[in-house]
Amino acid sequence: MTGLEADLEALVGADSILPAADGAEGATPPYTVRPKSAEALAEVLALADSRRLAVLVRGGGSKSGWGRAPSRCDLVIETTALNRLLEHEPGDLTCVAEAGLTLGGLQRLVGSAPGHHQQLMLDPPQGGGATLGGLVATAASGPLRARYGTPRDLLLGARFALADGTLARTGGKVVKNVAGYDLDKLLTGSQGTLAVIVEVALRLHPVAPATRWVVAEGLDPRTAQAALVALRRAPVVLSMAELLWPEGKMLVRLDGAVSACGEQAEIVRALLPGSRVAGESEAEELARMIEMRPWDGEGPVLGVSVPLTRIGELVTVAEAGGPVAQLSLRGTVGAGEVRLREGADLAQLTARVTALGGFLAWHRSPGRDAPPLRPEDPVAARLALAVKRALDPHLTLAPGRGPE
Amino acid sequence: MDRIPARLDQALLERFRQAVGCGWVLTDPDQLRTYECDGLTGWRAVPLAVVLPSRTEEVVQVVRICHENGIPFVARGSGTGLSGGALPVEDGIVIGLSRMREVLRLDPDNERVVVQPGVPNLEVSRVVAPFGYLYAPDPSSQRVCSIGGNVAENSGGAHCLKYGFTTNHVVAVTLVTPEGEVAHLGSAVPDSPGYDLLGVVVGSEGTLGIVTEVTLRVVPIPPRVQTLLAAFPSTDAAGEAVAQIIAAGVLPAAIEMMDRATIEAVEFAMHAGYPDCGAALLVELDGPASECQALFGQVVEICRSCGSSEVRVAEDEAQRALLWKGRRGAFSAMGRVSPDYYVQDGVVPRSQLARVLSGIRELEVRHGLKVANVFHAGDGNLHPLILYDRRSPEGPERAKRLAEDILSLCLEAGGSLTGEHGVGRDKVCQMPKLFSPRDQMVMHLVRRAFDPAGTANPGKVLPTPRLCGEHPGIYRPHPLERSGALQRL
Ligand SMILES: Cc1cc2nc3c(=O)[nH]c(=O)nc-3n(C[C@H](O)[C@H](O)[C@H](O)COP(=O)(O)OP(=O)(O)OC[C@H]3O[C@@H](n4cnc5c(N)ncnc54)[C@H](O)[C@@H]3O)c2cc1C
Repeated sequence: MTGLEADLEALVGADSILPAADGAEGATPPYTVRPKSAEALAEVLALADSRRLAVLVRGGGSKSGWGRAPSRCDLVIETTALNRLLEHEPGDLTCVAEAGLTLGGLQRLVGSAPGHHQQLMLDPPQGGGATLGGLVATAASGPLRARYGTPRDLLLGARFALADGTLARTGGKVVKNVAGYDLDKLLTGSQGTLAVIVEVALRLHPVAPATRWVVAEGLDPRTAQAALVALRRAPVVLSMAELLWPEGKMLVRLDGAVSACGEQAEIVRALLPGSRVAGESEAEELARMIEMRPWDGEGPVLGVSVPLTRIGELVTVAEAGGPVAQLSLRGTVGAGEVRLREGADLAQLTARVTALGGFLAWHRSPGRDAPPLRPEDPVAARLALAVKRALDPHLTLAPGRGPE
Repeated sequence: MDRIPARLDQALLERFRQAVGCGWVLTDPDQLRTYECDGLTGWRAVPLAVVLPSRTEEVVQVVRICHENGIPFVARGSGTGLSGGALPVEDGIVIGLSRMREVLRLDPDNERVVVQPGVPNLEVSRVVAPFGYLYAPDPSSQRVCSIGGNVAENSGGAHCLKYGFTTNHVVAVTLVTPEGEVAHLGSAVPDSPGYDLLGVVVGSEGTLGIVTEVTLRVVPIPPRVQTLLAAFPSTDAAGEAVAQIIAAGVLPAAIEMMDRATIEAVEFAMHAGYPDCGAALLVELDGPASECQALFGQVVEICRSCGSSEVRVAEDEAQRALLWKGRRGAFSAMGRVSPDYYVQDGVVPRSQLARVLSGIRELEVRHGLKVANVFHAGDGNLHPLILYDRRSPEGPERAKRLAEDILSLCLEAGGSLTGEHGVGRDKVCQMPKLFSPRDQMVMHLVRRAFDPAGTANPGKVLPTPRLCGEHPGIYRPHPLERSGALQRL
């Protein structure tokens, strides 16, 4: 037993130390530790920090390929043993949970409160097994973003451990709060480079009594763009408006009161050329289709975003025969994902998206390395680096992935 | 901080003048006095000078001069803040953004507007209205308060219940850092790469730099708006109705509550025609007509079942305006019935509204002062107005203690120190009630990352021993501080 292993064992107990991970993060770390409390996690971090070890945080592992692979990794800290729902106040539509609780686990727990039907309105890819901390750290979201936003909009507060083991809180558990700096935002999307999130307070939403789907097929880029303009201005509340390319499909979901849903579905149908209101029996299949795309299939998946007025052009890039195998785009937001075709020229795609005024972000990237988390603007990059150095001066957390 | 000059010498003033033009550097004591406080008039300080830049480049130059000479600076929008955020520091300058009031770019097709920070909040909705859009965050001060101030405070408003706060509507800013560099944070398009520094700057109360350009998201004007006023026998009953509306999953655009004291003041001052009752709820639903209709019935039913004796529904825009008139004018109405008042801004979980309101009534009796409540009930954001007379012996002191006790009540219920007015100077010494020394230290670290020299709005947001006195036992130095890598403010 090495000195490190003995020290870790003394901190967390032998049963919290796991066999070496599979090395999916790019290096094979000697130890994976799964602490049973936030305090134990903080102590492990402090130990690693004092010995200048590089630490990678891992939740459910569903998005471990996201972000740049760290340049070193000596220790993996898994959060999955921190999996309790700490508070759920259905009347407030809020909850507090440990960061290692999975999204699926949370939905089951908050969804079963008697007399209420609530959910965290977040549907990220491979979401069920993803942990809440991981979802916040990757800022992952899905089609429901059209109505409910991203983790940025749903996170009310957090508890986290800095690399030196300092446990601290930001935000609170109420839906409105401007006390102190909004460090929730800083943690959101920081990909485990600034702190280890150990607890989150989240905003929930009620599940509407009725759902309707409208399906449009055979769209071309021009009609798709025009239809989206009309939809954004229409007197309807869309939960999703997913544009699927190169199939030329748009799937729209509406949720609300029974009477209102039907009426709004008709409005949407009238605005979408070649569309129809789907029967109830199709709902499950449509939901599945949306969930799998564009992840189901080989090849790297990137996040993509463009201005609303350039969606038609983005869609043209995703026409059959181009670099993109599949595009799923939140049509009213202008953000989504692309899966690249085998051997596609990434530089060319990047150039085209950049020319549209948009961004690409690496999600699943087998065999390729994502760029570090760094803003394009040089002064913003310097500020990001200053923040990283202030919170993690020894570059303990996922070194090489952040702005350093 | 020992580099700070006690006075600005002529050479420095000359440099400020060169940066912004002669007429835009104020040093005349009478002129300076108009900048000595914001909306929280109990705190006053006269700055050494007021500098009024008109462009980002001018702000850069002014901030660089401050940085090179260790001069603290305080950004100021319209000065309507209610926490002393724009309170000057005596050994520093005020940088007023009121000349920067241009709408720079209108891009309704992408649902974006780019403005300078001095543009008044309401102006944004005015310029996008012809395209069918509005800017959702609507502080009651929206005619006057500036977008820069809104960004700094992460301001809210009645309709934020449904639409979210300023932070949900700002997608990019140009920030002049405290060292005088220009940073572009966020972007008009979603998902720009890197840390969400924009999210930290929003709500940072001018302590991380000066915002000189803001890109805002605008939303389509809702096709239908329905407004009702429900009269209740008591705030308990009205609070219960709010809890039930939220719990039922109805998301109105706004739910505002007024108690008897507020209703009486409003009636006295502006004759809005409100019913004579213990509490009133103003509920507004917006969205597609079909959705509004369905939810409206539900709201009315809940109000009735919670004891509402009367529900008035606005039949047209004029009636709607009348219902809102009393709410919007409530603060100024209070000025007509009480010589002085202090606006508290606390938050409680919505399920706790009725309990906390009755706690406030007990405190009223204990402190012997009247409290009027008018607030954003839907998101649990209380605004108790503590009525007092500053000329009466102990008046201000009693009001202050009552305000603090109300805040403690909010925190005990699991709430927050401030929902929209910010910490500023007013609540800086109360931060330890909500945040541990470690929590504060992390905020200090972030602040220092943006502002190593500590010149941007010093003395606001985060407590220091100098401001609040030493609290032996609470403070524990951060390891970085112990190692000398970081110095304590
Ligand atoms: C009658 C009344 C009603 C109100 N109602 C509401 C309400 O409903 N909701 C609400 O949230 N608030 C409300 N307020 C408070 C106030 O209007 C808001 O906080 C507003 O955002 C302040 O804007 P301002 O331009 O007046 O900012 P100021 O008071 O000038 O400054 C506020 C803070 O912002 C900083 N600042 C200003 N401009 C910049 C800039 N360009 N860059 C960086 N920092 C800057 C200042 O340093 C200061 O810390 C109300 C105030 C009054 C008097």
